This record gives sequence, C-alpha cells and structure tokens, in this order.
Amino acid sequence: MADSAPTQPKPSSSVKLVLLGEAAVGKSSLVMRFVNNDFQENKEPTIGAAFLTQKCNLPTRTIKFEIWDTAGQERFASLAPMYYRNAQAALVVYDITKPSSLTKAQHWVAELQRQASPGIVIALVGNKADLASAGGADSSDDADAAPAAEGETNEEEEGTDARRVATRTAKSYADEESLLFFETSAKTGQNVAEVFTAIANAIPETSLKGPRGVGGSTNLNRQEDARVNLAGTGMSMPDKGCAC
Amino acid sequence: MFNLTNLVQKAQQFIEPALPIAGPAANDRRPSKATLFRYQFRLPDSQSPLQEITAELTLSPHHSQRAAAGDVTSPEKERGQGNHYVGKLHLSEQFLCFSTTGSSFLTTASLSSSSSFTGQTHGAGPAGNGFTLPLCAIRRVERLHSQSYMFALAITTWNGSPDPKGKNATPSGQKLTIQLAGSRQQCERFCDGLKRGLREGVKEVENLRTVVTFTYSEYLLTSDGDEKKGAGEEAKKGTEHPDTGLGLIYRYPGNARKLRDATKIRLWREYLKENGRSATLIRQPTFHKLIRVGLPNRLRGEIWELTSGSWFLRLQNPKLYTETLEKYSGRESLAIDEIEKDLNRSLPEYPGFQSEEGIGRLRRVLTAYSWTNESVGYCQAMNIVVAALLIYMSEPQAFFLLSVLCDRLLPGYYSMTMYGTLLDQKVFESLVEKTMPILWDHLVKYDVQLSVVSLPWFLSLYINSMPLIFAFRVLDVFFLEGPKVLFQIGLAILRINGEELLDATDDGTFISVLKSYFARLDESAHPKSENPKLRAVTRFQELMVVAFKEFAGITQNTISEQRSKHKGAVLANIESFTKRTSIRNLGPESKKLSVNDLGFLYDRFYTVLYERAERAEILQQEADRKAKAAKAKATEVVTGFSGNSVERGRVALGPSPTQMDYDAFREFLAGISKWAITDSPSSPPELNGSQSPHSYFGSSTKNRPSLSPWGSGLEPTDHEFMRRLFRRWDVDMADSLSLQNVVTGFAAVKGTKDIMSNISYFFELYDDDSDGRVDREGILRISEALLFLSRRGVTESGLSPSPSLTDVRSGSPERPNRDEQFLSSVSAFIRRCFEYADPDHPSNQGNQAVDEAQDGLDNFAIGEDDLIDFGSEPDTPTARRHSKNPLSPKPSDKDPLSPVTTNDSTDPIEKERKEKAKAANLALDPNKPLHITLPTFRMVILADEVLEHFFEVGFSSSFKLADAPLLSAASSSNLTTFSNAGKQVAAAASNMGGVVGGAGAGVVPPGKGLRGMLDNIVSDGMRVAAEVRRRYDEVQKDLDSEARHGRDDEDEEEEEKGAPDLLEGAETAGVDTSRGKVEELLGVPGAEAGGEIKTTRNRSASDASRRVLEFER
Ligand SMILES: Nc1nc2c(ncn2[C@@H]2O[C@H](COP(=O)(O)OP(=O)(O)OP(=O)(O)O)[C@@H](O)[C@H]2O)c(=O)[nH]1
Ligand SMILES: [Mg+2]
Repeated sequence: MADSAPTQPKPSSSVKLVLLGEAAVGKSSLVMRFVNNDFQENKEPTIGAAFLTQKCNLPTRTIKFEIWDTAGQERFASLAPMYYRNAQAALVVYDITKPSSLTKAQHWVAELQRQASPGIVIALVGNKADLASAGGADSSDDADAAPAAEGETNEEEEGTDARRVATRTAKSYADEESLLFFETSAKTGQNVAEVFTAIANAIPETSLKGPRGVGGSTNLNRQEDARVNLAGTGMSMPDKGCAC
Repeated sequence: MFNLTNLVQKAQQFIEPALPIAGPAANDRRPSKATLFRYQFRLPDSQSPLQEITAELTLSPHHSQRAAAGDVTSPEKERGQGNHYVGKLHLSEQFLCFSTTGSSFLTTASLSSSSSFTGQTHGAGPAGNGFTLPLCAIRRVERLHSQSYMFALAITTWNGSPDPKGKNATPSGQKLTIQLAGSRQQCERFCDGLKRGLREGVKEVENLRTVVTFTYSEYLLTSDGDEKKGAGEEAKKGTEHPDTGLGLIYRYPGNARKLRDATKIRLWREYLKENGRSATLIRQPTFHKLIRVGLPNRLRGEIWELTSGSWFLRLQNPKLYTETLEKYSGRESLAIDEIEKDLNRSLPEYPGFQSEEGIGRLRRVLTAYSWTNESVGYCQAMNIVVAALLIYMSEPQAFFLLSVLCDRLLPGYYSMTMYGTLLDQKVFESLVEKTMPILWDHLVKYDVQLSVVSLPWFLSLYINSMPLIFAFRVLDVFFLEGPKVLFQIGLAILRINGEELLDATDDGTFISVLKSYFARLDESAHPKSENPKLRAVTRFQELMVVAFKEFAGITQNTISEQRSKHKGAVLANIESFTKRTSIRNLGPESKKLSVNDLGFLYDRFYTVLYERAERAEILQQEADRKAKAAKAKATEVVTGFSGNSVERGRVALGPSPTQMDYDAFREFLAGISKWAITDSPSSPPELNGSQSPHSYFGSSTKNRPSLSPWGSGLEPTDHEFMRRLFRRWDVDMADSLSLQNVVTGFAAVKGTKDIMSNISYFFELYDDDSDGRVDREGILRISEALLFLSRRGVTESGLSPSPSLTDVRSGSPERPNRDEQFLSSVSAFIRRCFEYADPDHPSNQGNQAVDEAQDGLDNFAIGEDDLIDFGSEPDTPTARRHSKNPLSPKPSDKDPLSPVTTNDSTDPIEKERKEKAKAANLALDPNKPLHITLPTFRMVILADEVLEHFFEVGFSSSFKLADAPLLSAASSSNLTTFSNAGKQVAAAASNMGGVVGGAGAGVVPPGKGLRGMLDNIVSDGMRVAAEVRRRYDEVQKDLDSEARHGRDDEDEEEEEKGAPDLLEGAETAGVDTSRGKVEELLGVPGAEAGGEIKTTRNRSASDASRRVLEFER
C-alpha cells in the first residue's frame, strides 16, 4: 500500500491520472481502496468527477497521483475530455462480469489514444476479480484466475463463476494496444496497489514534472518537451515492481 | 383543459399587434410574450396572456395590520388602510395574475411599483408583490359601484378548501379589491374575458379541492382555527396531517431548534392567515423575506411547489403521477436499469434512504418521470435531487417539481448529451472571468479547471456539495427566483474564498479549500469580531448576503445572454465529440474508408436526417398553425435555448433520429452521386398542383406535387438500383439504415480497389436468391442499372479509358462520343450475356461451351446490327416512360424479380437477332430459361473495355465522398437536367420560410443552354432500357397469345421493324473494342474458367486500350 511516510531527499513529482469506464464497474471503489484502503458496498455514483490524491513511493522517487475519478453513465461521456485533458496516465476500468463494459473500455482506450496527451500511460483494469473465483468461496478449478491477475496470460475457461470476460481476451487486447493490464478487486484489495505502482513506473522520467505550482509557464514547457520525447516510446511495460 | 388557442392568437394580435405571433414566420430572436408571461408567473405551457391592464390592488384591512406602503398617492378616497400595490393585472385561460414588478415582457414602460421590494427574479419567477390565482379559486367577482371614473372589482376567493358546505369557509374568504386603470372599453373587455374564464373555471373546482385539501397550509390554518376556538379538539380535526415528505417519518435534517423551525412556522401561520393559502396566496414583501430566511420543514415542500409553479401543473392534472405509474407498471427500460443501480446510492447518509420506504418512493418518482420524459430518461444526479425533494414532499409533488426542474429551471442539464450542464459551466466560467478577473487569471495560469469543481454544484443543486440544511436554503431561493440563484451562490463561494484560492496552484488544493469551506458553513463568519451581532453571523448567512447583494447584478437576463453567446461553441464541441466517438465505433469494416470519408458520411448522414426532421417539423407546423398556438416558441429568451423544436434534430441537443428510411437514403445519395439526382424535378404546379403537399412524405409516389420535400438540396430520383442498394445495405432488415449500415455499405463499394470484387458486388446485388445465378430478367435489370448509373457520365474522375477521351470536362465533342460508347457497350453487354448464358437445365450444359465457341465468332458479324429500335416512340418523355416501366420500384416487399424466372420467360431481342444470328444458340430459345453465373458476368464485363473501366473506377468513384464532394463540384459539372431546379429550390425555400439553408444551397442550376445534345444522350440511355423493356413485354404478350392461339412463326414480321441505327457511330467503336478482346477470350474454353479470365483481365486494361487505339486509327 502506498504510505505517506516522507522520505526526504527523493524527488517528488505529481502525475495526473484519470479513471474511465462504464458506470458501476468500480472506479470510485478502486480509488477508495488505493487512497483510504477502504471499501463501501453502497458507494454514491460519481457526479461529474471526484478528485483525490495519493502518494506512491518508488525506490528512486515519489509520485503524487492526482486522481480524477469520472462518472460512468453514458451521457456523462461528453464531459470526459474536460477531465482527461493533460492526463499523463489513465485507468480504463471494466467489470469482468460484464462483457459490455470491456467494449466500453475499448472505446475509451481508442478515445484516449486519439485525443489525450500523446504518450499517456494507459492501464486496462478488469475489476471485481473477487467475483471470478466462484462466489468468493473455494472453487478450485479457477484458482489460477487470481494469479492471472498478476499480469500473466492465463488460459482458464469460463467457469461456473460470475466471470464473463476471459483474462486471455482482455490481455491480448491490451497487448495489441500496448496497455498495462491487471485484474483487480477493490473489494479484497487484490492488485490495486500494483496497478498504481506499475503506472508510476511506466511514466517516463522525462515527462515528470516537479510538484505543481513552481511556475506555470515553465511547467507547460516541460510538459511540451515530454510529449515530444514520449511520442516514440513504446508503452508495453512489465507489470511488476510494486514498491509502494 | 380547454383549447382557446385560436382565440388566444386573435386576442394576442388585438392586444399587441406589434408583437409577432410566434410561429414559423417569427424568426425573431426576441422572446415571445407568452413565454415570458408563463415564466414570470410560473404558469404551465398551456397558458397564454389573453388580457392585461394596469391596475391597483388593494388588500382589505383584514389582510394586514401592517402599515401600508407609504408612497402611493391615490385619488380614491375609499382606500383607507390596507396595502396598495400598483402593477399589471393579467388574464390567461386559467389564471388571474398580478405583479408589481415591471414585467420584463411589457413593451410599454413599466409602472413604478408602490413597494420598495421588487424581488430579483426579473421575469423568471413570481417576483414582486401580487398573486397568481387559478380562476377556479375565485368564488365571486363583484363590480363595485364606484362614484368616480374608476372601474373596480371586488374578488372573493375560496380561501382554503372550496367546500361550500364547510362552516369555516365563509368567514375566512379572502377579499381583494382591484381597480382597473384604463379606458372604459379596455376595462369592459378585460371583464368580459374574466367572466368567460370564470365560467370555464368552474370545471376545475374539483381538481382544486383535491389538491388543496391535502396541503400543509390548509392543515396548519385549520388546526389553528380549532385551537383558537379553544375547544382543545385537536384530535377531532377533520383533516389528517398531509404527507410532507420522508422527514415526517425519518426526521428532517438539521436541528429543528437551531433552525428555529417553530418560530418560522408561527410567522408563516400569521402570513398565511392574512394572505391566503396555497392557491390563493398573495405575495407581499414579507413573503420574500420569509423565504430568504429559510422555510420551515413542513411547509417547505408546499412553498417550493408554489414558487416553482409545479403546483399549477399538479392542479391541472392531479392524477398524472399515479396514472403514469399504473400505465407503465411492469414495463422495463434502460432508464429503469440505471435507476435501479443508483437507488441505494442516493443520499445514503439520510436514514430515510436506508429504508425500503424511502427507496421505494425514490424509485417510483424517478421511474414515473422517466416514462413521461423518455428523451431524458434518467441521469445520475437526478437521484440525488429527487431524494432531497422527497424529504420534504410527497411523491406526486416531487414528480411535478422534477418535471419543472428538467423542463424549465435546469434546461438540458439531464439530457442525453447534458448540453445544458456543459453550457452553464461555460456561462459560469465567463461570469467568473467578468466579475473576478484576478481569480480567473490565476486559474488560467495554473491550469485549474473551474468547471470540474463547479459542475456538481449545478448538476445536483449544491445538494452533495454543502451540508443538506444549507443546500435546502439555497433551494428555497432557487425555486422562487430561478436558475440565476445557482450562479449567484457559485460566484459568492469563489468571492468569499478568493484569497485562499489565489494561493492554490493546483486542482487538489483548490478543491480542498472549497471542501473545508463547505464543511464550516455553520461557523461564525466573523469569529473574532467584537460585535456580538456580527459574530453571530454564520458563514452561510454571509454567503447569502454576498450572493444576493454583491451579485445582485446577475439576473436571469445575464444568464440568458451568456447562454446564447456560448451555445454554438458548446453544441459544436459536443457534436464533434459525438462524431469522433461514433465514427470510431463503426467497426472494422469502416477502416476501409478514410477518416475523412467517414467524417463526410457522418455529416451527410445526419444532415439529411436533421434536415428532413426539420422540414417535416416545419410542414407540420404549417399544418398545425391554425389549430394550435405555437406555444413553446421562444422559450429561448428565458432559458437561453430555443424551445422551438426546429432545432430538435441537432445531435448535441439529445436523442435524434438515427435511422434512415428509403426516402432519406435517396436524398442522401443525391448529395453523393450524380446519378441519384432526378432527371425530372418535381413537376410544375400545373401538373399536380391540387395534391396535398404532404402526401409524398414517407412514401415515394409517382406524381410529385409542387412543394418539394427535398428542401433546398437536390431532388433525388428513384430507381430500382437504389432500392437494391438500400436493401443490400439494410443488413438488419430494419427497412432503414443506420450510419453503421451506410458505412459498411460504402466500405464494400468504395473501400476496395479491386475490380473483381466490384464486379461480384454488382452481380450479387442482382442475384436475388443468392444462388449464383442471374436470370434474363436480372440481366435486363443490370443493363438498365448500368445505363442509369452512367447517364451523366461515369469517368468523370479517375482515369479515362483511353487518351482520346480525356478531355471531357471542357464539354468537348468527345463527351457525347463517350456516352454513346457506353450505350453501345451496354447493348453489347446484353447481347453477350444472352450469348454466354447457361440454360437452366443442367442437361444442356455439355453443349454449351461448344455452342459458345461457335457462336462467338459469328457474333461479331451481327454486332453492328441495330439491337434496339428507337424509332417507335421518340418523343415520349423519359421520365414518363420510366415511371410506367414495370421496373420501377414496387412497394411490395416481395421481390419483384423472382416470379419472372423460368419457363415462360423469353428474350426480348431474340427475335430481331434470330435471323442473322443463326447460330441457334440455345440460350436464345424462349422456352429455355437461362441465367448467367458470376464468371460469365465477369467475362462479359471484362470483354468490354468501357464496362471494365466502369467497374474498375467508374462505379466506386461515382460516389463522391470527402475527397471530391459532389455538392461543391456539382455546379461545374454536367447536371444536364436541371432546368427546373431553380424553380424547385426557390419554391422549397419559400415554403420553408427561409429557415432551411441546406447543404445543397450553393448549387447553381445550370442554364437552359446546357440542355440539348447531352440531354438527348442521357435520355437515349434511358430509352435503350425502356425499349428493351417494351420489347420484352411485347414478346411476352405475343407468347401469351401464342399460347392461346397456337404457335405461329412470326419471325419475319418482326424483322421488318428494323429502324435507322441511332447508335451507328458508337456501335462501330464498341464492336471494334469488343472484338479485340473477345478474340482473346475465345481462346479460353468455358466461360467459368475464372482463373483464365483473370489472366486476361490483367492484360486487358493496357492491351485492350492500346488495341482500341490501333483500331481507331
Ligand atoms: N464484488 C465487488 N464489487 C465491487 C468491486 N468494486 C466495486 N464494487 C461494487 O460495484 C458498485 C459500483 O462501484 P463504484 O465504485 O461506485 O463504481 P463507479 O465505477 O465509480 O460507478 P460510477 O461512479 O457510477 O461510474 C458498488 O456497489 C461497489 O460496491 C469489487 O472489486 N468487487
Ligand atoms: Mg464513481
């Protein structure tokens, strides 16, 4: 889990991260888990967007995530550009029990790839992984579904559980598009910190800026530079390295 | 309700002749008076201002012990004590309204009001002092015998429940005196109108009783009366406590003592006692003050209803809520799914919404509303707003208030695209920029996006931003004074926190400053002040003061102006977003087209749908004009949006049609392909003038009336080919095309550069039963389609088949030559098809190849013979003939082609050819049904250089997309049949009241000079087909009679019919061409040898054209 213990000399930089995905896939719950290590069954739907911050300590630096959690209902989509503007990272979330949510996620990925800042780090996240291991009980035939969430391709069949999106399907799509890929559960906390750490690691040094507010114009310039540099960078990243 | 609309219009004209009646002609950006009138008094849309007159309202001493507002100078002596207000008295169909506030809709100068307090609603709410009386609440009107010139009315209302038997109804009956100031005639007229209205109003008394009986004010005063009688009979009260929301069960939020709820109730009781309750409430200065200090819990719902005007809606239709629920009970919808997801997530901190009771109410209200307004359905945030309302209101009350919110107070907020939300964010930003430039610059500098913070304020009315009790205080004022309150509060929040916000350099800090401000709204605003009074002022009070004093300048007008200013940009933004997303989601097929082309198709697709909707709307309005007052016309002025439905189809405004029917498809094609434009624009009025202008909408009838349904665009033609294309693209068999269908369709036609697949595609279009065969009938139809498609030239863009044909654009003599060439190619096509056709009986197949090989050689000898006789009916207009043609589309869904397949079919040209083409081709035997297969078809096409070229580039480039849009090119190209178009466009434009400026508006129809030779060629093309058809039919007839009279060989006679060869010149070239290639082809045994043919093809393009040149030389 991310801790906020200050480690003095480490350089710290802030990263704007946006969460996108269909309504009720658990975007807010993921953020809540990451920021407060907490989970609520009845979470109010997000109206417009919510903003939260959380630090993530990497061995060499500290990343302060500025998290924009957006509303998922279809009609809020036209507000989204407002939120993903200038975002350096995006979490595109779907619900592994709802195939339609993966389609929606793919639309978001396409939208981001075309409209967001070039070089944005995108992670595809299949949430509610806890529902995959057959009703939270001990069905073993899908036991390897959970390790799969570590990021490795997994060949499991659709079991009797609530899972409707095979890990393989999503994973191969993610590979095609050079996205980070995870399966998570906001409920159990599984893989949540890992997602954010992987993103933190995937943000190229060049695009990192200091804590905001040092000077607007310099900031902007640096960002511009970063974009240029990023344009050619391959985005396929190893999904390892939690040091939060 | 009664419909007085005709009368209304007349009356309107009479009263205010200068104001145009809202209607299609009124393109005036100015507000319609009726709209402003309704907004000022918060009346339902059914109301319109019938009469108005300057008047003075006198409230009898009984009404007030307070001192009268001082500065009124009146000539009348009878006005002793009591309050006097000068203002305007208005009469609508069902209401009598009075206000001292200069109504913003008056063209005349407003009178100065007698009171110092005028409220701040500026025409957007029941401002000032006065009343809004439903006529049914008036019990009696007496004309006072005034000694002077004054014309005075004494009005007695049903104060409280209009129960004639009730004992206490009489004494509390409220009396108002109104003196009308106007000429005798004006006053009389007003009174006549009033009388009429009162008579009608009697019918509404029942509704009034139902609604009023269960109001809290009624309950409050009734129980109050009992108390006064001192009988202590509270238990015996006739009325039970009305439903004043969940708060009654689960407590109202906040500490009642701290809110001083009891004191407020006492003050309101006093006020209501003097000024009437619910229906008959009179607004005096105290009314506004009492609202500003916050409403008492139990009265809150009722006052919200009264000030927002939802009360009047409920009065008109008290049972709508329950009826809606009943009507749709058990039905499902997307909205219901979405609602279900959020029920547990609405104000979960309020105990009422952790209970089934509260959740049930919320579910019912949201569901009922989603049914009554399906274009809004359900939007997240509505759950929060409705949950809040339900704390203070019954379900029906919340239901009607929600509809006032969505329709008037928060226009477009919850719509499918949420354009209202986005727009108001823009408006808010621009107000911040104006009123707090330093803060604005700061936000810009640090790239803090204000709307991200403020959007939820507006979308959920501060309900989940501030602690509930404060949000409700904002709502109290909001319902009275209108949407500008949201802006004033928002600006005040920023102003108060200005210093701290200037220190915030990122979104995070910015948001947390505001969060902590909201958390401390109940604390003292000046904790360190010496002055205890000042110390007692809470931050929330400070907020209200700043909002309504410092930002008093923000009026409804400001908002409306800003909205109109930003509307265009916001809508355009949404549209480009929508376009982007929907283009991206068109699926893999769409990748075959360029992004530009997709964009072009998207625009063209929706433009057609939009314009058609618009035209239908306008025509509809035209038709309805007499029957219906154009009510919602200029809602725009108040809301900033056009209530005028003419804009309805605009994508950004919400759901719009997404499916294209066949007629729309024709119109769509006409903007993309020249061949889809009609040769004979709608006949001039003298032909069909008497027909109803609407008859053709929806179905394509043959005779078109004068009024064009095609707007200012080009009128499409109708051809079997287009119908086939439509059916082919309509993969969902929905009898309409989605954008997806259209794009996929184009991807197949244009997305491939491969001539082979183009040929197959065409073949498949005509292979109705997909058995890989096209029969005689089909062959004829194909040839007809080829002529149809090429009748305005085919090789316009792309390569010309041979250098000699390059100079086409300049209108050089080559052009007719080329057209002739195409004609001859098509006749050669028919001929060859029949030559190489396979008989349907498999037993014959064996001989086929041999026969073909033999006949092939002979063919060229006969090629020059005239194939078709043009002589017989040279003057018949093409279109006429065409429309008689059995090929023209039949409305029946049944495939028109299938019946004509086998035994009785025959070859129309067979007889002519038979003599000379003595090859005894089995295929020509009328008794031997035949077909061609795809390989044959391919071969025949490739055998002809012109046709080959057509399939290589001509066909697909005849659809002009983004690279070379047709419309821009149209004026310079050879649309030869446009002599009527000018008239057409003008007629259409005038019918549209000049509103429509469609995409085709720029096309200048070429002058008459362009007609002539080219025109003839085009019609000749059609005549070839028509002639083929005629022959075919004749033969058919002959066969029929033969069947009757026995067989008789009449071949010789037929031969006589040979006529001058119109195509001589062309035929020569065509035949030469074919010969060159068919010779090659003949080396290939068996027409089915696809591979071989391909080889041929590869060479043919270059070889053949070289050869042609040689031949020509
Ligand atoms: N079983 C399970 N339920 C989850 C998980 N994450 C979220 N949920 C539930 O899913 C529902 C929606 O969660 P939210 O976090 O509000 O979803 P959201 O994506 O933020 O929704 P919007 O704000 O409406 O777009 C809630 O009832 C959560 O309790 C998870 O990992 N496992
Ligand atoms: Mg959320």
